[in-house]
Amino acid sequence: MSVKVLNGKRFAQMVIQGANHLSNNAKTVDALNVFPVPDGDTGTNMNLSITSGAKEVKANVSEHIGKVGSALAKGLLMGARGNSGVILSQLFRGFSKHIEAKETITSKDFAQALEAGVQTAYKAVMKPVEGTILTVAKDAAKKAVAVAKNEEDIIVLMEETLKEANASLKRTPDLLPVLKEVGVVDSGGQGLVYVYEGFLAELKGQRIEDIVPTTTMNELVNAEHHKSVHSAINTEDIEFGYCTEFMVKFEEDKVRDNPFTEENFRNDLSQYGDSLLVIADEEIVKVHIHAEQPGDVLTYGQKYGSLINMKIENMREQHSNLLFEEDAYPAPKPEVNKKREKFGIITVAMGEGIAELFKSIGAKAVIEGGQTMNPSTEDILKAIDEVNADNVIILPNNSNIIMAAKQAAEVAEQNVAVVESKTVPQGMAAILAFNPTGDLADNEATMKEALGSVKTGQITFAVRDTNIDGVEIQKDDFMGIADGKIVLTNKDKKAAAKELLSTMMDDDAEILTVIYGEDVSEEDVEELVSELEETYPDAEVEVHNGKQPLYSFIFSIE
Amino acid sequence: MSIELKTSYGQIDISNDVVATIAGGAAIDCYGIVGMASKSQLKDGLSEILRKENFTKGVIVRQEEDQLHIDMYIIVSYGTKISEVAHNVQTKVKYTLNQMLGLSVDSLNIFVQGVRVTNP
Repeated sequence: MSVKVLNGKRFAQMVIQGANHLSNNAKTVDALNVFPVPDGDTGTNMNLSITSGAKEVKANVSEHIGKVGSALAKGLLMGARGNSGVILSQLFRGFSKHIEAKETITSKDFAQALEAGVQTAYKAVMKPVEGTILTVAKDAAKKAVAVAKNEEDIIVLMEETLKEANASLKRTPDLLPVLKEVGVVDSGGQGLVYVYEGFLAELKGQRIEDIVPTTTMNELVNAEHHKSVHSAINTEDIEFGYCTEFMVKFEEDKVRDNPFTEENFRNDLSQYGDSLLVIADEEIVKVHIHAEQPGDVLTYGQKYGSLINMKIENMREQHSNLLFEEDAYPAPKPEVNKKREKFGIITVAMGEGIAELFKSIGAKAVIEGGQTMNPSTEDILKAIDEVNADNVIILPNNSNIIMAAKQAAEVAEQNVAVVESKTVPQGMAAILAFNPTGDLADNEATMKEALGSVKTGQITFAVRDTNIDGVEIQKDDFMGIADGKIVLTNKDKKAAAKELLSTMMDDDAEILTVIYGEDVSEEDVEELVSELEETYPDAEVEVHNGKQPLYSFIFSIE
Repeated sequence: MSIELKTSYGQIDISNDVVATIAGGAAIDCYGIVGMASKSQLKDGLSEILRKENFTKGVIVRQEEDQLHIDMYIIVSYGTKISEVAHNVQTKVKYTLNQMLGLSVDSLNIFVQGVRVTNP
């Protein structure tokens, strides 16, 4: 049996069967509806749309297929409801436009008409969302055009088209994240598949009812639960507390006295709760319902046969557990898929302000540490992994950390260079010399060179009496350190700072950077800076709040 | 003018531009709409589809007392059921604003400013 030419009467029957099949499965489509708005009305809308089309077709049955097509397009346009309904009307508007002038059509015409429908449908959208009915229609039409090249039998054509539509429908969750999240296929796409199934059934001379729903009960249950989550926010707000799932295996004597129809069964059950799903065939009926009295539901089911595969869950309990768990364990941070960089610079610093400063000039990671708090090799290794770069440059900014940094460099899988900066200003000078387009060896060399371009002065306080480098130091005195060497002490930190700078500043000094620590007040800084500007009129004075402990001032002289 | 939400930690101010951008973004997701139109289009007599970066010009957010009203100026595609497309835009925008900002819109007026005919 084959159909090589399609006339208006046959096409009208196809439309009617398609509409009936969609109508029978409208509830399934509703349950899948999570996009664009999870209001569960896609099936209803599509059904109303196509029923309006079919009605117009019935009123205008003709041998002329072009006329039937026009009637379908008109009916769909008049009755279009919802997003999917409007898209469906566009698909068939394009379809009927293509066959308008034809008395009968061949497989080629049919395929091209499907394609024309897709084109029309895509024209009416600004930003097509893939993974919807549009995608399913497009993939199916493309397949149809390919098949029609060598195939005259419209039945085979429709079979192949439907097969592709189904395959495309199964792919929709990969294209549209919201579908994947809920674990369903696109509702509009499913609706279109039902229409195509109706078409094929008519071509094959079958009756519609024989086609088994392609959606599984699990998908529907997931979709229903998803919708409940949307609406139920407080545990107390759950109106129907038990998620009840079971199957009834029909028993002949019971069904004889009490004939089963899916529609009545569904209507009767709806009084017990919400989120109701019913799927039946000749032998069993599957039920999912959220009910307050699950016992009553089960008793009702037993009127038709024996109960199998029962599952009842207390949703209030689950929900409060869920809320409790969410409180107890904060949601894990989403894994950020960082792009792997060519270079990453890691530096070690103490004080938020200094860390910020380093980041602002290009450091990828700043490890907390410094005098009296040295990061371990492991801390550095961790930072190397975190920066996610092929080449890593480490600036220890302290002579005590250089060893640990070198060890980490040896162990790490990445290419790691340690530029032996001993002070924060040296580290900064080195970063400023970094050239992102160069290679690792070049950068290591230029950055090492940059270390020498800067002089470092530090003011810190003595923790005990001692005598170093010939300088007598008393506890709590402020010490001035020039490039690692203690040169003076003073009871007052500002005086110490001025004295230290007087030994370090020379005619070549152009930029004096002052990084003040957490123990220094704003007023002290302002006072000091204005004095410094007066004393060294040729130098530019820059001030940063390093918030570092231990060191009242860090000076960088370039 | 902005929308204020009070939380236990303090206040959150959401500017009307944010609301307009979200509304516009949600609208163009809808099938059958080909763009946002400028509000003053009728006056100018120009049929211009706003480009993405300024489609908020076609979205007017108004607050009257505690109520939130939104006017949207759109252009639809020829051959679609215009009332239905407009209705879809209303539902989608309302839903999206509720999801993203927790705002409930009291009225959402759609002004269809133009129809784009693509088929000759």
